[in-house]
Amino acid sequence: MSNTPLMRRGAALAAALMSASLALTACGGDGDDTGVKAAETRSVKAAETRSVKAENGTIEVPVDPQRIVTIGNTNLPFIDLGGEPVGVTEVSASDLDVLPEGQRTVYEAAEIVGSSGGEVDLEKLAGLKPDLILVQFHSSDWDKVGKRLEAIAPTVFWGLDTEWKAFADAIAEAGNVADALSRQKAEFKEKVAKIQAAYGKIIDGTSFVDVSRGDWSDPGTFYIADIGCSEIARDDVGLDLPEAAEGKDPLAYESLPFEQIGELSKYDVITYPVDAEGQPTEPFVPVVETNTWKALPAVSSGRALGVFCPGNNSYGPVIRYLDSLDSALATLPAEK
Amino acid sequence: MTALALRQDGPGTETAPGPRRRLFGLVVALVVLVVLLVLSVMIGSTAIAPSVVWDALFHSSADIDQFAIRDFRLPRTIAGLVVGVALGLSGALIQSLTRNPLADPGVLGVHAGASFAVTAAVGLLGVRDAQGYMWFAFGGALIVTLLVLALGSTRQGSSPVVMVLAGVCVGAVLGGAREALQLTNPDAFDAMRYWNAGSIVGRPLEVVWPILPYFAVALILAFAVSGPLNALALGDELAVAQGVRVVRTRVLAVIALTLLAGGATAIAGPIGFVGLMVPHVARWIVGPHQRWIFAYSILLAPSLLLVSDILGRVVMRPAEIPVGVVTAFVGGPVLVALVRRKKASGL
Repeated sequence: MSNTPLMRRGAALAAALMSASLALTACGGDGDDTGVKAAETRSVKAAETRSVKAENGTIEVPVDPQRIVTIGNTNLPFIDLGGEPVGVTEVSASDLDVLPEGQRTVYEAAEIVGSSGGEVDLEKLAGLKPDLILVQFHSSDWDKVGKRLEAIAPTVFWGLDTEWKAFADAIAEAGNVADALSRQKAEFKEKVAKIQAAYGKIIDGTSFVDVSRGDWSDPGTFYIADIGCSEIARDDVGLDLPEAAEGKDPLAYESLPFEQIGELSKYDVITYPVDAEGQPTEPFVPVVETNTWKALPAVSSGRALGVFCPGNNSYGPVIRYLDSLDSALATLPAEK
Repeated sequence: MTALALRQDGPGTETAPGPRRRLFGLVVALVVLVVLLVLSVMIGSTAIAPSVVWDALFHSSADIDQFAIRDFRLPRTIAGLVVGVALGLSGALIQSLTRNPLADPGVLGVHAGASFAVTAAVGLLGVRDAQGYMWFAFGGALIVTLLVLALGSTRQGSSPVVMVLAGVCVGAVLGGAREALQLTNPDAFDAMRYWNAGSIVGRPLEVVWPILPYFAVALILAFAVSGPLNALALGDELAVAQGVRVVRTRVLAVIALTLLAGGATAIAGPIGFVGLMVPHVARWIVGPHQRWIFAYSILLAPSLLLVSDILGRVVMRPAEIPVGVVTAFVGGPVLVALVRRKKASGL
């Protein structure tokens, strides 16, 4: 008997829940109405604007932009953040080759509106009816087409000297993809912390040098990389890598003749560029084929590490770089 | 560099030294060249002790610095020697052939042909290494020079003036086509940026050896026509009167200079001033005797090239300046001095 009031209360609760679910079901049954409402909400959001600061001033951009065109170096970083641009400019074949398949599909689905920054087909771009244009290229290109881009849609421009993390923040804010950025940032922090924890003892007291060679490099020359992925290894991970003196051009700007390869013998560990399969990149092959390279102490003792750097302008490729660096460092012996 | 000027002095306006003094001068030039060859192996962007250089050449081991000597400096020095010889001799031939003391192989479109062919190879076929460039450059130089030779030949025979004009025109057309190709193809632009400067860095001996047989043929042809070219310097009529077969002499000379200049360009890219300056200086020393001019050019041109290359290695150490840029810096003032000389050496 003592259970009777409880049973009554339970019956009343069940009845209330059933009524609520009936009401919800009734609402859910009118699908069209909800879709229209959602579309209206998006439309209202797209019509709403907020201010974004960039190199071309404070720009009013849609809160929820729907038709974004990316130009220059904004293409891949925006796609990396989950963005789906309706128009893009061409990126190099080498960049496309290392793009994850999903991102490549997104890139290829977009309309190509120009070969490079300053060479945008403005008519084609306008035909896409963009509600936001994201641009990163040389300021001289901006001087040529900036005003005309701004006449088509709200345009946010960043110069080439924008630091990559600030650039990722700015793209995420302007393109309304901040959630993806937060996830990437968290993953980046986690990877860096993992490398520091796992290889801290090896990293401390070990001198590193990152060398590279591009397909633009002069024959018989290479360079010491101190920008790009190398910068991340130095500044975020903490590797002891050489860098240019304050106020001087980056070391990477100076082509060194092959006979300088021998000078690398003063470093404990050498990192060099490899492709996704772990093979030296095509431009770097002439370096690894020299006898001088093969005779370097770091090379002959297994301390020359191939590291894959798919890009350094957004968190996605940087995280892949950190994975590669992690695997490479794992092959080092514990002590020098 | 293509330079044309009206001939102002007739042959034999200088007081030519006697055979003994010429021979002595030749020995001095040879000694200078040998010294520069040694310096070229010893001096570079990396400081390497002379004892290591000696060991690298005669007691080889797996020492890193020894590899630098054997793999980089030695091939580079050999390339400098070979390219210098070819440029000097081809310059002497073109100046003799055109009877113009300020002509260089570029007037026959050699550089334009080689540059266009390499640009097309890079831009259209994706060729990206020195060995690949070599054959395209050589082929381009040969084809264009043969075209110029055909255009410069009239029913009355081959005329140096018409030939030079044809060379300049074909060179201009190909130059425009090359520019267009480079502007529409960033890869070609990047690759050609350095190749056009002219350099002997990063040229393995595999690039040099295949060209040597062509140089040997050209050397034989050049000395074979040196006598007839002496006679041609006096004018076609006098040469014919001396029994010289004018057309055959010119055709053989063009073949020789094309093989030399085309081969040099194939190895190092277009290098200006060497083929212009050195024969001029040689003529100034020995007078209008082609055989001596050829011999001096063969020794002096590689010396100029090696000096320029050594300078290019040390002035911005550890970075380097391409030898083509340095020869232009050295050659520019010298050319001005030559042009301002009251009695430019005649042919």
